[in-house]
Order: sequence, then structure tokens, then C-alpha cells
Amino acid sequence: MKDIRHLTHVLAAFVLVTGAFLVIRSLVKPHSYGELGRYRADAVDEIKALPFRYAGKAAQPRCGACHKEQFQAKKGSSHRNIGCETCHGALAAHAEKPAGPKPRKPAESEVVAFCLRCHAKDPSKPPRFPTVDPRGHNPDTPCASCHPPHAPKL
Amino acid sequence: MRTLSRRLFLKVSASAAATLALSKLSTALAWAEGFYREPPWKRKKPYWGFGVDIEKCIGCGRCADACKTENDVPREPFFFRTWVERYAVYKDGQVDVDSPNGGIDGYPALQDPSALAKSFFVPKLCNGCENSPCVQVCPVGATFKTEDGVVLVDKEYCIGCRYCIQACPYGTRYFHPVLKVADKCSMCYHRLKRGLDTACVEVCPTGARLCGDLSDPGSGISKFRENNKVQALKVHMGTEPKLVYKGMDKEVR
Repeated sequence: MKDIRHLTHVLAAFVLVTGAFLVIRSLVKPHSYGELGRYRADAVDEIKALPFRYAGKAAQPRCGACHKEQFQAKKGSSHRNIGCETCHGALAAHAEKPAGPKPRKPAESEVVAFCLRCHAKDPSKPPRFPTVDPRGHNPDTPCASCHPPHAPKL
Repeated sequence: MRTLSRRLFLKVSASAAATLALSKLSTALAWAEGFYREPPWKRKKPYWGFGVDIEKCIGCGRCADACKTENDVPREPFFFRTWVERYAVYKDGQVDVDSPNGGIDGYPALQDPSALAKSFFVPKLCNGCENSPCVQVCPVGATFKTEDGVVLVDKEYCIGCRYCIQACPYGTRYFHPVLKVADKCSMCYHRLKRGLDTACVEVCPTGARLCGDLSDPGSGISKFRENNKVQALKVHMGTEPKLVYKGMDKEVR
């Protein structure tokens, strides 16, 4: 009968440790952990709710509501599939509040470099993409004086 | 008349039962195998995938720039969720790869264009692996694959051990210097969920990038995978990337 005390000691230790484990676990485990998998389910909603900065191509008719001339010019041109924000930067905030952040417009001095980011002659570019050798083709003239960027005719 | 001995009866019925059980088992196994091999986007809607057409990429770097703006990625040239690599394959077999500042500021002229066999740009981003090594190694469950197939990082829960950064075979993760957590392409999950395209897709001037729902057979990405000969990166690693490339050269790693 004396030997049973050894067992009860072990049992008590086991219950104590298990209990402590469960208590600590319930304290440190985030409440949504494990709902969807081995991660915090709330994290998905938190990431979903992050703000967005690019309004996107789908919002372009809203650009056209104010910037009619540019919108119409771009419509039929070879730049028609390029989003406004590709050249003018993230504009979701501007679309919400037109008086707020202004679209980026390259300065006169940088416009050549800006156009050449896409259109400089480069052996790495796909062969059919329209490129130009910046040294051989009117190096001192801003591109936009002959090729208006919203309707760049060749 | 031949009598059926007890021994024979038992033998025949036991073999019949065994055959029946085996055939049932093989049907069950075939079903399980089919379930395992079937891509998850046949069962779950939506399921996000990504495609890149290398033959359209002009290396303008607008994608890498827009990604940094959209997702608050530090501007220093070591931190990228997406970047554009330039591959230069020379006639003597040498291959040079560079990506100065991810391609945002353009590329220096190639040393010797006359010795060039071919050259092209390859945009890189999270491959959205089905069996993602980064998810498997995370010790705390801070990186995970969502129900719709996007691998994300829980900023609040990441302990910054950098194990996932080492595990990613594509090098698409970096350690955020301010938040001190691992960070990676989220496929602009906050945009996808609002019905928008990812920032990089929105700004790509040539339409070299596209994202979409793999579970919808009519979506752009499904058509892209169906109508083109596409390839993924490092398929031998068994990660099953959901990012596919069209027109990819064998030198691309």
C-alpha cells in the first residue's frame, strides 16, 4: 500500500505540469491562431485592410473626368494600354482628393531621360519594341516637342 | 455430382473477399492519388496565380518602383519584393546577370554588345509555391499560405529569425530593416481582395506581367497558361510555383 504513494506523486506532477502548460498556452496563444491553419487568422484580415496607393487602370475613366484632353489623346494612341500611373506615379490619393497630392510630371530637363527609360536602344529589349539611339536622334531636343507623350506619333 | 468440401468453400470465398477488398482499396488509392495530384485551384475559388511574359519585358523597372511605393518597401537598393534581372548570354557561353537597384534606375551599357548571343530581362517576384519551403521552416507560424493560395507574412507574429529568407530557393524574401521582420511579395493581397490588379501589373507598360484567378478558366492568367508554352523556375525542387514564365531561357535561375 505504501508503494501507491510513488504513483500519486508522479500523477500529481503530471497534472501540475499539464495544467501549467495549458494555462501558459491559453495566455500566450493569439485567439485566432489555428482557425484556418497554423497561423493567426486575423493576420489575413489585417493584410487585406492595408491601404492601397495605385488607383489602377480600372479607375482611369475617373482620371478622364478632369483630364479630358489627355484622356482623349491617349485613347487612340500607341500608349493607350499604358496606365496613367505608369508615368505619373501612384494617384489613388489624388483621385480621392484632387486638390491634395499632385501627379508627377517630369521636368523639362529630365523628360529625355524619362522617355529613354523605356525607349532607349538596348540589345536586351524585345526586337519589335520601338527604341531610338539617343545620341543619333536629335540629342538636344526634348522628345515631347515632336512626340506628345499622350499621343506619340512616329 | 461434385460436392463442395468445406476446405474448398472457405478457400474460394476467402479469395473472392480478398479480390473484392483489393479492388476497393485500389479505387480508394486512385481517388486519393487523384486528389493529391489535382491542382488546388480545381477545388478552391478563387486561387491566385501570376504570369510573366519575358518576351514583352523592356526592363523599365516601373514594376519594382511601384511595388516599393505600394508596399512601403525601403528605398535602399537591397530590399525588393520584385526586381528585374538582365541576363546577357555571350557567344563564348559566358552568362552575366545584373540588376542594379532592381532595374529601377536603368542598366549600364553592356561591355561588349558585339560578342553578345542574346540578352533579355527577367522580372522576379515571389513564386507563390504550393509547397513553399518558407512556410515549412517558419518556427512560429508567422508565414503561411492563405486559403486562396497566396503566401503571406504576419508582421505582428514574425520573430525575425530569418530562417525563411534562407529557405526561399528564389531569394524573394528580405529582412525589413525598420520593422525587423521578414518581408516578401504579398501579391498585393490588399489589392486583389478589392478587385484590383497588383501594383506591378497596373504599371507595366507592355503588359508583360499578369495576375489572376487560376480557378476561373476564363481569367487572363488561365488563358495565359493554356495558350502559351510556360515554364516555372527550379521545378526540380518540387516547390510547385504558381508563377510561370513565357519565353524563358535555360540560363534563367
